[in-house]
Amino acid sequence: MKTNATNEEFVLVFRTNIHRKKDVKSLTPLLNGCSEIIKWNIDLADCDNVLRIEATHPNHEPVIHLVKKAGYNCEELTD
Amino acid sequence: MRTRDINKETIIREKAIEMIVDHGFEGLSMHKLAKAAGVSVATIYIYFKDREDLIQQLYAEEMQKMVEATLRDFDPESHFDEGLKVQWLNRMNYCFENPYSMFFTEQVKHSPLVDRSNIDTRFLNAMHRFVHRAIERNEIIPLPVEIYWSIAFAPLYQLVKFHIAKSSMPGRPPFNLDESKINLALSLVIKALKP
Repeated sequence: MKTNATNEEFVLVFRTNIHRKKDVKSLTPLLNGCSEIIKWNIDLADCDNVLRIEATHPNHEPVIHLVKKAGYNCEELTD
Repeated sequence: MRTRDINKETIIREKAIEMIVDHGFEGLSMHKLAKAAGVSVATIYIYFKDREDLIQQLYAEEMQKMVEATLRDFDPESHFDEGLKVQWLNRMNYCFENPYSMFFTEQVKHSPLVDRSNIDTRFLNAMHRFVHRAIERNEIIPLPVEIYWSIAFAPLYQLVKFHIAKSSMPGRPPFNLDESKINLALSLVIKALKP
């Protein structure tokens, strides 16, 4: 379901060190509170602890900034 | 930001099914899959949220393909003997053309990953109608659905497996499921279900 007004969404993928459920829990209010993030999830089963975000914009920087501010590593997972 | 590429997506799906069939659920990781499909890990995450999402999407698509194949030229109102023959041939041909798909759906079917409510209702309705019409017309005896299925279809899938494995019992020559063998098995199955 697309909820943003422009009807466009972008998938952004990051490598992180978020590897415990506890960390996901602590990040939840932060990510849920961000209006530009439509959906997000962290793949704890993956060795890169991939943070996947469906956002209303294609920019990685604001997300990296947000997650780093919360005390975790976060970088764009590139090709 | 990457755009969706239908070819890449197809390769990812095919490789994922192969990996699950060959190595089980635990044998599948996004990293191994990326390597096998020749794409980046990031690309896989464009299409799939995580491993569980990947498996569920694969299952939904493979079931859809199987349902289309199974319902081809099948009339739920037809006489039981004819309808079952169409079902057998459709299912057999689908399995021969998509052996990985067959093993994959079988593996996933009974796992907690699959929600029964996701199964295509067209298929369930058609099979339900077919069997109940046949019972009404006294072409077969009423049975609990598990017993019905085990008699009507389990023999077919066992023979298909013998055929695909190209072997059956130890010491036996390769088994080839041809038309005469299909007809022989089908006639025995129909006999077993008759009133």
